[in-house]
Amino acid sequence: MRRSIALIAAASMLIGMTAGMSFTASAYEVDELKVAIWDNNQLAGIQEIADEWSEQSGVKVQIDVVNWDNYWTLLEAGASDQSGMPDVFWMHSNVAQMYMENDILLPLDEYIEADDQIDLANYYEGVTELFTRKDNGSVYALPKDHDTIALLYNKAIFDKYGVDYPTDDWTWEDVRDAAKAITEAGEADGVYGYAINTSNNQDGWYNLVYDYGGNIVSEDHKTTALGSDEAKAGMEMMRQILEYAAPQTMVAETGTDSLFQSNVIGMITQGSWMINSFYTAESHDDYAWAMLPYADVNGNGACDDGERWSCYNGLGWAAKSEVKDPQAAYDLISWFCQEPQQKKQAELGVTMAGYKGISEDFANAFPGMDVSAFTKIEDEGSLYFRPYTRKTTVWEDAIQQQGGMLDAWLDPTNPDTMATACDNCAKIIEDAIAAE
Amino acid sequence: MNKKRMSPKEKNEERWAWLFVAPTMIGLIILNFYPIFQTIYQSFFKTGDFGKGNIFVGLANYQTVTQAAETWQSFWNTIKYALIEVPFGIVIALILAVLLNKKCAGRSVYRTIFFLPMVCAPAAVAMVWKWMYNTQFGLLNNVFHTNIAWISDPKIAWIFVGIIGVWSIIGYNMVLFIGGLQDIPGDFYEAARIDGASEFRQFLSITVPLLSPTTFFIVQTRIIGALTIFDLMFMVMDKTNVALPKVQSVVYLFYQYAFVQNNKGYGATLVVLLLIFIMILTVILQRVEKKIVYHN
Repeated sequence: MRRSIALIAAASMLIGMTAGMSFTASAYEVDELKVAIWDNNQLAGIQEIADEWSEQSGVKVQIDVVNWDNYWTLLEAGASDQSGMPDVFWMHSNVAQMYMENDILLPLDEYIEADDQIDLANYYEGVTELFTRKDNGSVYALPKDHDTIALLYNKAIFDKYGVDYPTDDWTWEDVRDAAKAITEAGEADGVYGYAINTSNNQDGWYNLVYDYGGNIVSEDHKTTALGSDEAKAGMEMMRQILEYAAPQTMVAETGTDSLFQSNVIGMITQGSWMINSFYTAESHDDYAWAMLPYADVNGNGACDDGERWSCYNGLGWAAKSEVKDPQAAYDLISWFCQEPQQKKQAELGVTMAGYKGISEDFANAFPGMDVSAFTKIEDEGSLYFRPYTRKTTVWEDAIQQQGGMLDAWLDPTNPDTMATACDNCAKIIEDAIAAE
Repeated sequence: MNKKRMSPKEKNEERWAWLFVAPTMIGLIILNFYPIFQTIYQSFFKTGDFGKGNIFVGLANYQTVTQAAETWQSFWNTIKYALIEVPFGIVIALILAVLLNKKCAGRSVYRTIFFLPMVCAPAAVAMVWKWMYNTQFGLLNNVFHTNIAWISDPKIAWIFVGIIGVWSIIGYNMVLFIGGLQDIPGDFYEAARIDGASEFRQFLSITVPLLSPTTFFIVQTRIIGALTIFDLMFMVMDKTNVALPKVQSVVYLFYQYAFVQNNKGYGATLVVLLLIFIMILTVILQRVEKKIVYHN
């Protein structure tokens, strides 16, 4: 008994000594920062960028990947006393407002001011706006990345049924016609022209609503135009595509991505964050990207301003407000968001940068696969930020389920069902905003 | 009660007794009792973000919860799940236990096989079943050449989710039954055989009554287990699955409100209702136990 106590005492002295030693070696009060992210695809690239910072700062960066659902449980549960929270982590539009207003996140203003490497004007406005608190103008996260949407198609399927490949000039009508041709010709093979689930919102039906002049949430995040005639026109177009798409029960059970990678789907829409999954897929040689189709609302046969919309979202790098060494945490965040590292992130194909004007680096990150559709739309189309309100998750899930869009997906031949679904969804969003 | 003063020796013993039960008590208080009261407390509040700024709303949460059709649907879904898992999980486990309690070749191999599902992570089990049930690419439809939407047809999905539950729990029930069977003295069976009772008669007249304490224990724990089911629905059903409203359990609904929508007060109200329901059921079961369970 006595001997083991002596051993423990000796051991703890040793640990204390080593800790004290590294203390003096670094300019920071800590020798390790804990970082949490939710996307395993990005881990290798982020770790590489972080390790370069560790080399010069002497602070180790320990990155943990926690899947999307558990990630928010972890942050939420740790938020009250912050001891269980990671030091630096990703913030998302769904909950950013809530985290900022409750002082869970470290305000970065004074650090940004003292940092000559960071100028917020260089980043995508929607992302910086998202992480700026409305009431006091404080900034709580730096833009990590942004993403856009494109149309993904399977060349082998188009070849087999003699349908022309999608081009950057396609309208949604063209998508519908191609989906019809493939679905009708491919019936015996179990092949469908198109696949989309109600949960494909940001990467799916939201874009049609904006193409036709509607919106999901207004710019002040206080109302919705999903019940408007414009939005209904967009969703009516969606419905006409759904008539020739894989049935909803099929996409709910298997998922549109898995179906596409099983080579039974002609086209899907997907976000830039998913490229790697298709780039590394078994039949990746058959896959190609086209710009997201547009809606020829004025009927002049060309894509005019405001007829082609892509949703975009951006994550932010944030730190917890009670982080032990705020300067170390900020310096790491700053490192991730400075131009060279943003470039590197794009070159590595991790994601498109949150920093403006370096998208080409990302387009070249996938040799053998042309992903320029994601960057082209930034010049040739319009971007709108992923619709959010203070408590996005309350309505976002509900409009995908029964009583929302699911009704229309299950009954795609009936235009009235779609119109009613739009009204129902608008009501769900309005009620949710009223309760915020 | 004996109110006589304790001798120093008794006092010393008492101190040690407290010390020994302390780990369990502390664990129960921190991990069970405190959360229970905290949950009941929260159910009377419109909870703020991150547990701050709660507003007392009295019974308002209870009003909304009890008026929502989905609440009662989820209670009914949970009961339906229990109606599959508990009886089938017990009957099949009992038959297997009786068979595997006899001396036969490879007995321990079979016991291990049937117990294996218990060792697997429930999430992994659910993922494998999810793919077996898949309408287009699933094993079941391909083997039987059928085209059944096992888990997407609102009319039948609850049955097939229940079957996963049965499959997962058989091994555990079986081990408990085998334990119970080995407590039955062999001379009862010997006497019955001498009297010319058939195997089936022996089972009915000796095994079933003498096993009833074990059976009752399993019934009671499994009913509570089944009523608090969550992971199966969560793993097997996509949130856009059309059958979800007819399958989601009370705890699933609780998860949705408390953790996805961050409405802790509403979620707390749901589980308090579930707690009351389970408590009533347990009281009834305890009454029934006195009548039907055979104690020698």
